[in-house]
Amino acid sequence: MITLRPWAFLAPVLLLAASFTADAQRLEATEPSVKAAFLYKFAAYIEWPPASFAASDAPFVIGVVDSEKVAVELEKIVASRRFGTHPVAVRRLKEDEPARGVHLLFVGQRAGEHLSSIVRAAQPQGSLVVTEGEHGLESGSAINFVVANDHVGFEVSTEAAERSGHRISSRMLAVARRVVKKGT
Amino acid sequence: MLRRLRMSVRRKVMLLVLGTTVSALALSAMGLVIYDLRAYERQWTQDLYLQAEILARASAPALSFNDRKAATNDLSLIRVRPNVLSAALYTNDGERFATYVKAGEKAPQFPSAPGADGYRIEGNELDMFHRVVEAGEPLGTVYIRARYLPWDRVLDYLAILGLVMVASLALAGALSGWLQAGVTAPILEVARVAREVMQRRDYSLRAKKSSDDEIGQLVDAFNGMLAEAGRRAEALREADRRKDEFLATLAHELRNPLAPLRNALEILRSARVDPEMSRKALEMMERQLNQMVRLVDDLLDVSRITTGKLAVRKAVVDLRDAIHDSVETVRPFIEARRHALDLELPEGRIAVNGDQTRLAQVFANLLHNAAKYTEPGGRITLSVAVEAGNAVVRVRDTGIGLDQGAIGAIFDMFVQVDRSLTRAQAGLGVGLTLARRLVALHDGTITAFSAGAGKGSEFVVRLPLAEAPRQSEAPARPAPTGDPNARRILLADDNVDFANSLGQMLASRGHEVHIAYDGAEALAEADRFTPEIAFLDIGMPKVHGYEVARRLREKLTTSECLLVAVTGWGQEDDRRRAWEAGFDRHLVKPVDARDIEAIIKEL
Repeated sequence: MITLRPWAFLAPVLLLAASFTADAQRLEATEPSVKAAFLYKFAAYIEWPPASFAASDAPFVIGVVDSEKVAVELEKIVASRRFGTHPVAVRRLKEDEPARGVHLLFVGQRAGEHLSSIVRAAQPQGSLVVTEGEHGLESGSAINFVVANDHVGFEVSTEAAERSGHRISSRMLAVARRVVKKGT
Repeated sequence: MLRRLRMSVRRKVMLLVLGTTVSALALSAMGLVIYDLRAYERQWTQDLYLQAEILARASAPALSFNDRKAATNDLSLIRVRPNVLSAALYTNDGERFATYVKAGEKAPQFPSAPGADGYRIEGNELDMFHRVVEAGEPLGTVYIRARYLPWDRVLDYLAILGLVMVASLALAGALSGWLQAGVTAPILEVARVAREVMQRRDYSLRAKKSSDDEIGQLVDAFNGMLAEAGRRAEALREADRRKDEFLATLAHELRNPLAPLRNALEILRSARVDPEMSRKALEMMERQLNQMVRLVDDLLDVSRITTGKLAVRKAVVDLRDAIHDSVETVRPFIEARRHALDLELPEGRIAVNGDQTRLAQVFANLLHNAAKYTEPGGRITLSVAVEAGNAVVRVRDTGIGLDQGAIGAIFDMFVQVDRSLTRAQAGLGVGLTLARRLVALHDGTITAFSAGAGKGSEFVVRLPLAEAPRQSEAPARPAPTGDPNARRILLADDNVDFANSLGQMLASRGHEVHIAYDGAEALAEADRFTPEIAFLDIGMPKVHGYEVARRLREKLTTSECLLVAVTGWGQEDDRRRAWEAGFDRHLVKPVDARDIEAIIKEL
């Protein structure tokens, strides 16, 4: 029933999510919720290797490290949402916890100097890493949130994405603040 | 309406050509416009839908990641479509996220909230909403406002139609010009000639033929008709002239005997009646009267010829009898002109199938002509021969003869050889016409010969012989009593004087005469004494003559009775009715006693 009438079902949730997005543009306090929404939306613009999913109904897992606020917001958004045929799950991870089975890994600013090691550990597992902060991409992450003029934006390193076996849609690149490509 | 009917053929043809062209063009243009308007709307909305879809797809990331600048950039892509006036992106919660306004356009009134998917036409503009969906997730709505100007296309069509119409008008004009030259002009020429002929009565005019097509045929037919009309007009004039001459002659001829008759009356009325003188006067009156009767008979025959009612009653007769009758009729005239008459008749009976009285009339006419057109003291020969199944009668004279040119016309009505003749017996000029008609009715021919003017003329009549000469006479009737020539005669007439005088005359000849004054009485008398001959008036009281005749025919005792109608009505129709009623003979009043005697003698 749900799949037959997705619009009717999703409408209130969408409205909620959209209102968060709108608020984020004006209020610093909603920054985590904007990031959460973006995290969820990134999935649609990334080409996932076929081996990423064991089955068509296997969950799409978003892992969160060192950012309880984002995890909470994310849980609100993905509750009963699907990515294609996949249900969406949020998993909180400790810094030294292996990111096995995680498709998209968000590492919060609190990781500090552990950031690089977390990224290096996650990439071979096939997880696309998203970071936040000024020097996110330098740590080797594929996507990094930046905040400018009270707006949340993001920058992308296609080279880093390729290392974890992903390709990012050019349509997403078109709205990125900065794109780092191989050799630049 | 009348004005339209009076238009020239050229105008009508032009109107037809134009009307057909213009209405066909207008109809097809209307069809095209309707089709195109629908196609335009479908095509334009499809196109716009595609634009909206592209915009939605392009701006989906910008909407996803809240990038107004990118969204505005994406929207501005639509500027390559100059018909798009403005566009906008709305987020899911209905907020206007980004807008586009075509350069040079005023800032438009954007809808405050996105509407449902689809398009709406408002005057000259078309609004379209299209949902932005990414991976099954609705992100917002694209709004496009575009110019919608189907009437521009209609105007284009009308302009083209106008051009085509002007061109076809010019073509139609050229066509009608060609028609004018090829069709109308010859017809007008014919009409002009027809009008001229009517005005000038000149039938020698001819229309010019300019082509060999149907119009040419029309001109030919028209000219042929003119020629025919000319011939007829000429013939009519000729016939009219002849009739005028005939009337003049007739008046003259009828007037001639009146003076001697009046003179004789004066003589008879005078106190001192010299018996010798009165006898001469009476003889003269009888002669003149006979002349008048002959004229009037001719007149009646003329009317029968012209109405085609001249008829003969055929029986097998001896041609020699008819010739004798004719000679008897004409002999006084021949003798008066001191001609010698030679008769050359074969010994045996010459049986022909014909009407003896009419045949006698033919020969009498020929003999009369011969005597008339021969100077006194001439010689007239009548010979009869049998040649190749035909009886051939030749009447020769030593008279004024005929021009070769006149021989053909001599048998025409009212034609007389010498119009300068002033003799008393000039006649009416119908004798030969009548003779030829009568001979034709006997399946024979009549021809004229002459060696030339002053060398006499010859008329030859050929009549087919009857196949089997009949020797037996009419069936036996009740034997006469006493005098073998005495007959039992019934006379019926409501004119008492006529009945009585005729009765006395017949009784004085030894016949048994019974007189009745009405139809019923006549039937009763017939029952009583079984007459051999009955002279019946037609217009009798109680029972009219036709009915009396029918009843007499039905009765066994009187079925063989010779029935003679005596009436004032001499038209062919009356004779036919009489025959139908069963009458054997038909006499027209005033009755000549000799006719009655001839009939009695027949029996």
